[in-house]
Amino acid sequence: MTTMRSPLPAQERSNPLVGIGRMSLKAAVAAFLLFVVLGPLAGLVIWSFTITWFWPSVLPTEWGLKYWGFVGNSGMMKALTTGVLIAVTVTLLCLLIATPLSYLLARVKIPFKPLILLLFLLPQAFPQLPVFANTAAILYRFNMGGKVSGVIMIHLVGALVFAVWTLTAVFKSIPVSLEEAAINLGASRTRAFLTVALPLALPGLIASSVLVFLWSLDEFTGTLLVGAPFVQTLPTFMYAAAQGYELQVASITAILLMVPGIVMLALMERYLKSEYLSKFGGA
Amino acid sequence: MRKGETLGWTAAALPPILVVAGLFFLPSVLSVISSFQTKQGWSLANYQRVGDLYLKDIRFTVLVSLISLFLTLLIGVLVSGYCRLHQNRLVEWLFKIPLFVPFVVTGHAIRILLAPHGLANSLLASAGLINIEHPIPFTGNWVGIAIALAWKNMALAVLLILGAFRGVDESYLEAARNFGAAKWRQVLDVLLPMSKSSLAVVAVLIFTSMLGSFNIPVMVGGGDGAKMLMVDVYYNIVYQNNYGVANALGVAAYLLSAGAAVYYLRAVKTN
Repeated sequence: MTTMRSPLPAQERSNPLVGIGRMSLKAAVAAFLLFVVLGPLAGLVIWSFTITWFWPSVLPTEWGLKYWGFVGNSGMMKALTTGVLIAVTVTLLCLLIATPLSYLLARVKIPFKPLILLLFLLPQAFPQLPVFANTAAILYRFNMGGKVSGVIMIHLVGALVFAVWTLTAVFKSIPVSLEEAAINLGASRTRAFLTVALPLALPGLIASSVLVFLWSLDEFTGTLLVGAPFVQTLPTFMYAAAQGYELQVASITAILLMVPGIVMLALMERYLKSEYLSKFGGA
Repeated sequence: MRKGETLGWTAAALPPILVVAGLFFLPSVLSVISSFQTKQGWSLANYQRVGDLYLKDIRFTVLVSLISLFLTLLIGVLVSGYCRLHQNRLVEWLFKIPLFVPFVVTGHAIRILLAPHGLANSLLASAGLINIEHPIPFTGNWVGIAIALAWKNMALAVLLILGAFRGVDESYLEAARNFGAAKWRQVLDVLLPMSKSSLAVVAVLIFTSMLGSFNIPVMVGGGDGAKMLMVDVYYNIVYQNNYGVANALGVAAYLLSAGAAVYYLRAVKTN
């Protein structure tokens, strides 16, 4: 890329003070940006290593790993394993049932297509909580309230919406000519899907399922409405700890919740397209 | 497709449709119906109550969301403009971080940072900027909520706005530079006008998500003042077991979101 820079006036260029001023301005802006993004997270880290912290001391009065020892304790460990179990189940179920529909939406003229698209657009545009409150009532009627199965069902709603949009985009990005060639040579649509489209879509399928997994791990609203107080995952456990002013426990849980996402951001940054991410964060 | 094949594909496509229809569409219809019901039967009593008690909360929700949206877009445009003109991978990466921080974690982090006895106040006090006896109340009011929502959403804003800015051809910027346009002029006069419709989409997307936000307000808000709408919905369900009023508040939220969507459609059309 060849970009022309408008040259500074000669006077400014030769003055070393201007250069120093510019550098320190840059450093100040960089420090400010770092503080804006990382400041809130730094607070979590500090609190997680705090044993006692008396107001108005700027830093904790007593530091230590005491509260990190609580990670192995019953409550947090149970929330972690329950959450992972739910997220794995939701991801597998979601992938299994969302893939065929996504393929159809991407490739085939199916009846009621606009209605189906509208149905999957609705949860993106509407506030979730008032709807999920009624979903929870339905799940309670089917005896799934306060149970892991109920939480899986309510996670599945958001996960499916997310997966159908991303997987449809994945299938659309595969050149249609390859499947057409297979069909012209006598393969059925099913066979073209299984032997041509599916293997080509594998990277997209993996990216999408990692995001669904993370989304389910972070889901809060539905879990609270359907699961509380019997089924706890890390987000609801953290909420309870924070409301009870167990700030160290809450901060450690918060850090545990953040780690998978940050790791993924580092590993998969290149594959993350904006359409995958627009509704992310476990609302 | 042969008949058997069509049948098989239909059967395979139905489960996700049934799940979303049964556990999202149906409940949203039920919520509208039950907002017109009380124990005595059909009535407008729930809406009467919303009008009597919650109008200030509706106003509060819209205002906080607008303030936070403004903050988010400001950061989004500044950072995206900088990244578009400078190619700074590090800044780009830095501003993607909040995308992967769950809403509840954001709520908690901002709360411990901004609470009356939190990190921000003790830092300000030690710098001698505030009186230690009177810490600034950032939380329990609109300030904490607006900041937390903006922090969480700025990542999405940067992601989408930078995408739009990258779509603007370099030749336009070069032309502006040849006329001596400074960096901020290039952002303001070239990048912004040329990505107006994308910006409208981003704004509506983020605004509706702010209207419907629950985790952050419930953690950062609190206090005796006005509350965000979703917190009212939740309290009506959990503490008062009053589904009618909760659903009427829900309908108010749907209407606000729909209003934003209509605005968005108009903005797209006129462009």
